[in-house]
Amino acid sequence: MDLFSFTIAGLMVYAALAVFFIGMTYRICHWFSTPKASIRLGMFPKPKTRSGRWLKMLKDTILFPQALDVDPTMWFMAIAFHVAGLLIFFGHLRLIKEFTPIVSALGSKGMDTLAFVTGGTFGIVITVVVIYYLFRRFASPYKDISVPEDYLLLILILLVITMGNHLRFFGDVHVADYRAYVQSVLLFRPSFDAALAHSSIRWSLVAHVFLANILLMYFPFSKLTHTVGAFLANLVRSD
Amino acid sequence: MPGKKLETLAGVIDAKMNRQLKLYLDICARCAICRDACHQYVTTQDVRYLPAYRAELIRRIYKKYFTKTGQFVPSLYEGRDPDENLLEELYDVMYACTGCRRCMYYCPYSIDTTWIQSVGKAMLLAAGKGSEMLTQLADAAIDKGKNIDLYKDIMRDVLKTAEKEMQDKVGDKEAHFPYDKEGANVLYAALAGTHSILPAAIIFHMAKEDWTLSMFEAANYGYFLGDAAKAKEIAGRIIDEAKKLKVKEVVVSECGHAHRVFKFFYEMWAKEKLPFKVSSILDKVSEYITDGRISVDPGKIDIPVTYHDPCQVGRNYGLFEEPRAVVKEICSDFREMTPNRAKNWCCGGGGGLVAEPALEEFRKTTGKLKVDQIRDTGAKMVVSPCENCRLQLDTLNEHYKMDIEITSMIDLVVRALKT
Ligand code: HEM
Ligand code: SF4
Ligand code: SF4
Repeated sequence: MDLFSFTIAGLMVYAALAVFFIGMTYRICHWFSTPKASIRLGMFPKPKTRSGRWLKMLKDTILFPQALDVDPTMWFMAIAFHVAGLLIFFGHLRLIKEFTPIVSALGSKGMDTLAFVTGGTFGIVITVVVIYYLFRRFASPYKDISVPEDYLLLILILLVITMGNHLRFFGDVHVADYRAYVQSVLLFRPSFDAALAHSSIRWSLVAHVFLANILLMYFPFSKLTHTVGAFLANLVRSD
Repeated sequence: MPGKKLETLAGVIDAKMNRQLKLYLDICARCAICRDACHQYVTTQDVRYLPAYRAELIRRIYKKYFTKTGQFVPSLYEGRDPDENLLEELYDVMYACTGCRRCMYYCPYSIDTTWIQSVGKAMLLAAGKGSEMLTQLADAAIDKGKNIDLYKDIMRDVLKTAEKEMQDKVGDKEAHFPYDKEGANVLYAALAGTHSILPAAIIFHMAKEDWTLSMFEAANYGYFLGDAAKAKEIAGRIIDEAKKLKVKEVVVSECGHAHRVFKFFYEMWAKEKLPFKVSSILDKVSEYITDGRISVDPGKIDIPVTYHDPCQVGRNYGLFEEPRAVVKEICSDFREMTPNRAKNWCCGGGGGLVAEPALEEFRKTTGKLKVDQIRDTGAKMVVSPCENCRLQLDTLNEHYKMDIEITSMIDLVVRALKT
């Protein structure tokens, strides 16, 4: 591994993960250490039982059905964005450990095809939605409520995804080589194997990892904390 | 404005901080799904009334003063100072909100924009820029609390005619309005004017309720003003009266925000648990009918009738079916508005807007959705169990020449009451 790749795709990954986890822990502790208002200002109709409230909170957070009523386009885009994002996240787990049950069912060729089709599709879906989000922010009234953070996040996400798509559609490196890299990071000995080190696509990988690092580091300080906060706030709704 | 003053004003956010508020300020995605939830934005298309924008006015100060990244790079969040410009904008925006919480209903994170805006009102008050009209009304109410003995006799005098009307209606010359009755079951907190006293008195009499009439009106302009201390003092007049008379229950008149204050806010402000129950006259009416303590003529009214869910009765208190059941029993041609119940449009008059003459034109414009909704039902009568809504509906009725009758629940019940 050259020094540059080692810094970005090695050292910086640790830094980013550290900032992400410490930052999120800090943020969540901060929320929980701020006292709740001593008033129950939930909104009706609300479930009468505790478990009912929790179930409603999960439904409100994961499906947010009310938004479908008032803004179907946004609802659809938001679901597409988050579902694609979630599946892409799961897809990345293959880089830590191969999904052996699927491989034994489909064969290793079949697995590669499946990964290409699903990864490719969701990669494109999420790109389209992010571009839609970004364009929307330049139109009224959205631009009047947007702040630079909103554009920054969308641009960062778009860049991460674009580099990811680049790796998927133009890469000549097999998943096993990427896995070797991820494994090396997990073992605190970041390195590229020969196939990756000799491919020009490694620059795209370094760029992808670099951008993802930045996104991770900014995550706990941004509105992306809604990942956790949405559940907590929706619980207040049914309180 | 000097830096010190700006800091003091920004400090209001910190002083009012709690977990909900922090979440709301941290997580809004500025997705603008709340856009079409607010009748004021929908009817004016003015971005200042877009709920997320209202919240953003406070959020930008919060980011600049109270978050690490915002202190470091304020421009990332368009961090702002609470300067003259911002305060002016706050005034226009915060005192326009009706507190309907329809935006909260639709927000995917259930962000309560009114909760954020209450900080804005507190900031305006700290800067000495609260609403003058609401301040005057609130101060007058507090004043009355201090000099109640001067008012008692006047009030009894004024109510003599109403008392006579009640006697005629129930056919009992001995029926009186009970005042200062110790140990009564119910203390009824009415509004200024006999329209909220007489029908309630008739209903209480027919239900053989052991009740007494409060000397104070339930309306609370301190709450609209956003001044918790004043609001607490105003509500406290009735709370003290109830404690003194040792009643079991305080029943609040058909006034959405007043009931909300007693039911939810007072205990938070006063940091005490109230020794009696708080309910709405709507709860009592349903209860009396269900228990057979009063009965009404089914189908007494045969013109088309619709029911307006006041935000503070429906979405914010949870009475959807009970009042409907009463209206449906009395009216043979009942029609629902669309949308209704939790999704109902605000009338446009809540939040103290009806008390502010400067906002009358604004109320007419922003009430247009309600007008269309009512017209679509073809109803000739609208039942609305909230004084604020009724005043607004009166304005709309006249302005848009709707030619409808607007009535309260207790009036409706008395019209159909079997005596
Ligand atoms: C359980 C977790 C999550 C829930 C329930 C959730 C929910 C939502 C909702 C309801 C919106 C508003 C609708 C919209 O703007 O499309 C939103 C916006 C957004 N979410 Fe999430 N989200 C979650 C996790 C994440 C994660 C992990 C990311 C990471 C990249 C993310 C990125 C975004 C972005 C960038 C937006 C704003 C889009 C815009 O600029 O308009 N979300 N989220
Ligand atoms: S709907 Fe909720 S999250 Fe979206 S902009 Fe409005 S307040 Fe913010
Ligand atoms: S509470 Fe009602 S009036 Fe106020 S911002 Fe929300 S939707 Fe608009």
